[in-house]
Amino acid sequence: MRKIMIVLAAAFCTAAYAGKLNVVTTTSDLASITEAVAGKHAKVESICSGNQDPHHLQARPKFIMMARSADLWIRTGMELEIGWEMPVIDGSRNRKIRPGEPGHLDVSKHIRKLEIPQADMLTRAMGDVHAQGNPHYMLDPENAKIVATDIAERLAQLDPENGGTYKTNAAAFCTEIDRRMKTWKTALEPLNGKPIVTYHKSWVYFCNRFGLKIAIELEPKPGVPPCPAHLTRVTETVQTEKIGIILQEPWYSRKAAERIAEKTEARIVAAPTYTGSDPGAGDYFALIDLIVKRLTEK
Amino acid sequence: MNHRYFSALVSAGTFLALTASAEEANTQASNDLNSSLRAFNPAVSAIIDTYLYSENSEEGMSHIKEEMSGFGHSHGGDHDHDHGTAENGFNLRHLELAFSAEVDNYFKALAIAAISEDGAEMEVAEIETTGLPWGLAIKAGKFFSDFGYINAQHSHQWSFTDQPLMYELIFGSHGLNEKGAQLSWLAPGPVYLLFGAEAFQGENEKMFNYIGGEHLPEHDGPRLGTGWMKLAPFQFDKSELQFGLFGGTGVHQEAHDGDGDGNLDHWLDGDSTFWGCDVVYKYDSNKSYGQGDVVVQAEYIGRKQDLEVVEHDLSPGLVGKYKVNRQDGFYAQATYGILPRIRAGLRYEMVGLVNEEKTPSGGDFKYGDSWRAGAMVDWYLSEFSMIRLQVNNGEYETEDTGTENVWEGFLQLTVSLGAHGAHKF
Repeated sequence: MRKIMIVLAAAFCTAAYAGKLNVVTTTSDLASITEAVAGKHAKVESICSGNQDPHHLQARPKFIMMARSADLWIRTGMELEIGWEMPVIDGSRNRKIRPGEPGHLDVSKHIRKLEIPQADMLTRAMGDVHAQGNPHYMLDPENAKIVATDIAERLAQLDPENGGTYKTNAAAFCTEIDRRMKTWKTALEPLNGKPIVTYHKSWVYFCNRFGLKIAIELEPKPGVPPCPAHLTRVTETVQTEKIGIILQEPWYSRKAAERIAEKTEARIVAAPTYTGSDPGAGDYFALIDLIVKRLTEK
Repeated sequence: MNHRYFSALVSAGTFLALTASAEEANTQASNDLNSSLRAFNPAVSAIIDTYLYSENSEEGMSHIKEEMSGFGHSHGGDHDHDHGTAENGFNLRHLELAFSAEVDNYFKALAIAAISEDGAEMEVAEIETTGLPWGLAIKAGKFFSDFGYINAQHSHQWSFTDQPLMYELIFGSHGLNEKGAQLSWLAPGPVYLLFGAEAFQGENEKMFNYIGGEHLPEHDGPRLGTGWMKLAPFQFDKSELQFGLFGGTGVHQEAHDGDGDGNLDHWLDGDSTFWGCDVVYKYDSNKSYGQGDVVVQAEYIGRKQDLEVVEHDLSPGLVGKYKVNRQDGFYAQATYGILPRIRAGLRYEMVGLVNEEKTPSGGDFKYGDSWRAGAMVDWYLSEFSMIRLQVNNGEYETEDTGTENVWEGFLQLTVSLGAHGAHKF
């Protein structure tokens, strides 16, 4: 009798669980948007925590365990995850999420990509340049709308029963972006047209949207740590263009920025680029809120 | 409502696309074309690995490794290129020319040609399933056995320029790399538990040598079987700990020239077995360019060889008597990201903690152990180039000269061309 009870209980749990889609995203911003779109119909996990640089991850057994039971794998694409994605998917032996399958979604598909290098001029001497363009498009909230729409469409394809909910949720997400967009634009108005320094080329889409001008990066080339000669050049640029802000991601050392801040008027703004990297950046909206706040606080 | 929203989005997208400059659109189109072409062609990469080497032994490190007590000589291997025997001065490892792709809906494949100055050799030609259910995968072709940790890694992935001593002495400079097939299973359950079973032809020059012919019994392949498991029991946030257990057993044959007249005069046939464990710990500091990251790894291997004398031209009375070899070894190493893109590492190794040899004529020898300590600093200028400086100091017990202390130095430059590789854990 007890055996039957256990079997029944197990069957019931499985059934209750089976109703939910299992979604694994490569980065935490995608997880936040997926949660907004899927609501209670999906269990969403992100491989990268907000504190980790998604360029450099190890294909850890933990990630393989996460990928193993996924129904849908969502990636940023544009080669951002190239160093670890396939060993995780291969290792998980999960056929459903291999590239080309319905369970594999690359949300860069409908993004208008920036900084696409001229193919015939492309060499590795340019640093970590991605052939398909700069992959940090998620920091433009307009792109988040495109991504939410793509995710809703794919969720609806995998789970047609709740398709309407996904589309409604995505639309609500987009409306909320539009609503906050006005606030963000107003807040950043004083910085419109102003030059800033960034560490890595993570901020191109953000600055493009809000009218900030990136004068120079601390990295001499993408993925190449700052060197003294280049920092001298940055200091000169900061002085001549009267730059007030050095914007950088949380995982980079502040030493290079501090060296420039010492000699100039510029202040260092460390802002998160992914949700979850800061207690104040719990979801996608809070993330952009926090970036705007850090940029505008004195 | 939804419809209106979607059409608004579509028109916004169209507007954006139209306002984008024509040049950018062209670039995007040509790059999309490039990537779609790439998707239907194998990813191709080449690894160039060169180093400057210096050591101060009497007769050369390759001689010492050949003469190390208990580990003996190799027995007729036919590998054309060699990783292991470094010479004073400039050295060039084989060029690793790799092709990989999804074959179709069912398989992916990897082929690596090892090209040396003397010729080319097929190092890896593996075909692996991508669509089996229940966590299963099958691999076939020629590949590195996945037992332990470092065996399946290529020389450019090692954290030190040279291979751990026990691997070189037990399996030779190529490790266990054979024709065969592998079945692996990712067990269901809350922890990472991967099992593998492999059948190989059995052609390893040191451990699973096969000669056959007129003096030795014939054995059909596959002559070697291995089994292994890997367990990562914790789901830590920033670090991963993986344990492994493994073992393998197969046929081994030897042919010797006992009186040194240039002719083989006695032949042995029997079983060779190895077993061991490995542990890997990786810590991700979340800082940029690998600064603060830690990798600790250690492996232990024991081996036993039971070989029967099947023919003896000099002392026919020894036929039917046994030669028994028991040896072991371990290495433990750690690397730490001291600066952005720069790591420092230490390694300590011992071989022959157990080092016994029973000879067919009744001799029962117990040899001493040997150790080696290494330190390295490497600088990954980018994902594609690396410079490493390494120093070793070791004390080796050899059969002919007793114990010898040797210093070695390496200055290595490795670059990779072509496709951006992704490495396993």
